[in-house]
Amino acid sequence: MATINATLTLSSGDLLTSNLAFSVGSTLSKAGNSTGLEQTSGLSRTNFLSTDPASRSKIIYRADDATTNGANKVYLKNLSATAAEFFTVYIDQEEMGRLYAGDFAFFPWSATQGTLETFVVTATGTVAVGESWTFDGITTTSTSTAINTFAQQVDNEHYPNWTTSISTAAVTFTARHASVNGVVTGTTAITGDTLVESGDGNFTMPITSGAAGTRSEADIVVLPSVATTMDLEHMLFKQ
Amino acid sequence: MATTTNSLTLTSTDLFDDSLSISNTSTCYKAGTTIGLDQTTGLTRAYLTATTVIDLFPVVKGTINAAENGKIYIANLSKDETEFVTINIGDAVIGRLYAGDFMWMPWSPRAQHVNDIELVPSVATGVNVEFMAIHNFANIYPTGVDS
Repeated sequence: MATINATLTLSSGDLLTSNLAFSVGSTLSKAGNSTGLEQTSGLSRTNFLSTDPASRSKIIYRADDATTNGANKVYLKNLSATAAEFFTVYIDQEEMGRLYAGDFAFFPWSATQGTLETFVVTATGTVAVGESWTFDGITTTSTSTAINTFAQQVDNEHYPNWTTSISTAAVTFTARHASVNGVVTGTTAITGDTLVESGDGNFTMPITSGAAGTRSEADIVVLPSVATTMDLEHMLFKQ
Repeated sequence: MATTTNSLTLTSTDLFDDSLSISNTSTCYKAGTTIGLDQTTGLTRAYLTATTVIDLFPVVKGTINAAENGKIYIANLSKDETEFVTINIGDAVIGRLYAGDFMWMPWSPRAQHVNDIELVPSVATGVNVEFMAIHNFANIYPTGVDS
């Protein structure tokens, strides 16, 4: 475990007729115990550029990145030096507030995750050397006539949006991020795959089971106020 | 105008191989200006004995004004590490403040009920919480009744 200390100090000599001065400190612990948080995204800096897409908002942290209902903490800081420039901070679709130039925030994050879409595709029939299956931009070309070997080849690939595991000829695909990927419709259809079969019609890659996903509703999103360069500093402490 | 300074430090000597030391200080300004925020709800301490939802800073009327800005502070003063308070904004859960945890974040209240800051204790056996807003809103009433 690690020991991470956070301290907030607020002071003013003229907000009230008496001085305002208080300081609160905390050691960041895991949920429900005194074991220190020990994982972090690292201190990051994200540029928002005038050449970014029109919407310009960015997901700073995905709920998938942390444990749901963990004692996660998010730190954000607007590095702008122009008073009028701000980042609007959202949790999912809900606006939290605006971070103006130099402002920072430090808040807990439940990281409520959706569910990961998953499906099983099973190599079936007789595969020939050179036949292939493409999914998520990755093409697997068979180097063997053994159907299980082809399934193993499929499992060995690194998919941009999916992880895999294998059992004999059945490869289970699980989305890397919780969302409605739209690949699985019930348990009978898969979209986005391409089968190249040599002509005997005996090689197929049917989906044999699956479950649709749901999106996370707790991603941390920020939107800059101007279409010029703005920088955000951020860090996630998580369990 | 008032000058309210807020500082945050985050330190650790064993999270990384090297030490972590983040230190920030800023002044609470009105939106887009260098004029200090001049209103506060005051620092409130409450002892909550039910797991019902508490609206910390009720928005009673009006809509957002682009010139408005605010910061909120909330702390769970419990000493029992299993006790937490859940902080919500509108329909979203922000997170859980476990015993001793605090938060400091900007807040842009809109119309009534739209994105109120709410707190829900995890236990009914009594939890002390502390909270405060520093702002220039024209439409929040910390002692008001929010239905």
